[in-house]
Amino acid sequence: MKNERNIYKPFRARLTGVIEESPLIKTFVLIPEERFSFGTGQFIELSVDGIGEAPFTPSSSPVVTEQIEVTVMRTGYVTEYMHNLKPGAFMGIRGPYGRGYPVEKFFGKEVLILGGGCGLAPIRSLLYALENVKDKLERVILCYGSKTPADCIYKPLFARLNNTEKFEAYRTVDRPDESWDGSVGVVTTLLNKVNIDIRNSVAVVCGPPVMMKFGTIRLLEIGYKENEIYLSMEKNMSCGLGKCGHCMMGEFFVCKHGPVFTYDEIKETPDIWK
Amino acid sequence: MQYKSIKKEEWDKSLERLLLSYTIFATVKNDFGLDYEPVDASNIVEISYNKPKPATSLKSFFLPIKENVTAKVQATKPRIIIGAPNCDIAGLEILDEIYLDKDFKDPFYSHRRENTILISADCFNITEHCHCLTYDVKPYSTSGADLAVVHMNDLMLFREITSRGKEFLSQLSFLRESDNKDFAAEIKEKHQYVESALTVSNKGLPDYKTTGSLVEKAGDEVWRKYSSGCVSCGACSTICPTCSCFLLIDKPGFEKIKQTDACQYPGFVRVAGGEDALVETHRRFRNRYMCKYVWKPAKFKPTACTGCGRCIETCIGGINKNKLFVELAT
Repeated sequence: MKNERNIYKPFRARLTGVIEESPLIKTFVLIPEERFSFGTGQFIELSVDGIGEAPFTPSSSPVVTEQIEVTVMRTGYVTEYMHNLKPGAFMGIRGPYGRGYPVEKFFGKEVLILGGGCGLAPIRSLLYALENVKDKLERVILCYGSKTPADCIYKPLFARLNNTEKFEAYRTVDRPDESWDGSVGVVTTLLNKVNIDIRNSVAVVCGPPVMMKFGTIRLLEIGYKENEIYLSMEKNMSCGLGKCGHCMMGEFFVCKHGPVFTYDEIKETPDIWK
Repeated sequence: MQYKSIKKEEWDKSLERLLLSYTIFATVKNDFGLDYEPVDASNIVEISYNKPKPATSLKSFFLPIKENVTAKVQATKPRIIIGAPNCDIAGLEILDEIYLDKDFKDPFYSHRRENTILISADCFNITEHCHCLTYDVKPYSTSGADLAVVHMNDLMLFREITSRGKEFLSQLSFLRESDNKDFAAEIKEKHQYVESALTVSNKGLPDYKTTGSLVEKAGDEVWRKYSSGCVSCGACSTICPTCSCFLLIDKPGFEKIKQTDACQYPGFVRVAGGEDALVETHRRFRNRYMCKYVWKPAKFKPTACTGCGRCIETCIGGINKNKLFVELAT
């Protein structure tokens, strides 16, 4: 029997830090026990021993390989257990899986990123990757919307991006509180504030399905081509191997053929916004 | 077609000897009908040839209901499976696409495939719901299996399909090149008889390609009507030779148990947070048809429905997909 790596077997990663990002969201800092690297936008299956696993796109820089960060919203059975883990615990990792963002295709262009809610997690990884190649990019514009100011994660990220050459970051909230003096409204309202050279631009959309849907519609309205809109699809990616069928979206296994698709590739596919 | 022959009596004796080095399964008539059964010295004579079709599909020999997929692949005695009809053999093609995929080869499936000699049996008659030919699957194997076997008078006649099949046959004593051309002609006649019986029985049933476009165009009302008897038991998927979805269940020590699953079960595509694109029964029901006749064909070459008809036979809601397709076609 050849000693090939078992595709179903996770390797262990030690949890070294837990960062509270918002009441529902934590970032887990993990040191993998095996050599591990990923392309930005690819995802991993992260498991709690004996409980279950779930797919996440790491939120850390793909250039940093000794540790990875995964940002997790408490929203179901497995994530509830994850949120109770303390540093020192071991988690399981399988992956990385799927097709991430084709960063090299963004060279020479303006990159518009529309993010919503917890969708900022994969976007942060993408932003790190783009910062790393910023000499080859025209501009990077982040437009991010959250429900309330408190729901916004990675708050220091915005100030840092606005102090980084070629990067701009804008925020909006659906429901402001007394501390908020910024934009109010859904994320697409921010598009009126930014000046983009659409003919030389690509757009990335990542967030809850409803935000992705209306974000894409707006991008098409303002003139983005269907093959220049990159969507990070979220389905029930369970095995990550293009086998178990849970993430089938039309003819695609999102885990294998995605999770990043251009709108052009999936526009005829049913239930993409569900 | 070329045949090699061995006397039935000698074949049975050979099987008894082969039991020393192989685990053998074959189609045997039991109290419930024809099905794959383990073979031992006592039931060799009961092996059924030329008949369609075992109650369950061949799939479970390669994809067990439940297995620990984080364990090591165990070296096991090689296996021989005798009597698989071509609808089952054809079903393996799509399982191979998924489980022997070059990026992520399933080591358990792969081991079982390599470790199994497949001896397919030609069908010399049909059952009520057989419709392989409509989907371009012949009622006899010319590829996919290692050998095909026919029982005629007191002779077993073999068609060699793979080099492994040829090698397997060469170890049998008393094997003869079948010089009697009448056998080949007689078998051909039987094939023609079965094919015409299928054509008559499946009259009005659209072919595979047409079915795909009909399924794609069918409106919600059709899916609601035909799924009204569906209780989401998943029997259609479980018994299907090509349905291969599964669930991974975590056990302590980062172990994973892989268990067969079905898109007919509620919650199959549900994501954390509760969003579920297939929450209604008729949507899940449609999903299975879209998968088999539209999406899998768009992605893979082999057909994802081999026309075995078992999903019709097994459905406790009495749902007959062929009636649905005939309705869509008219």
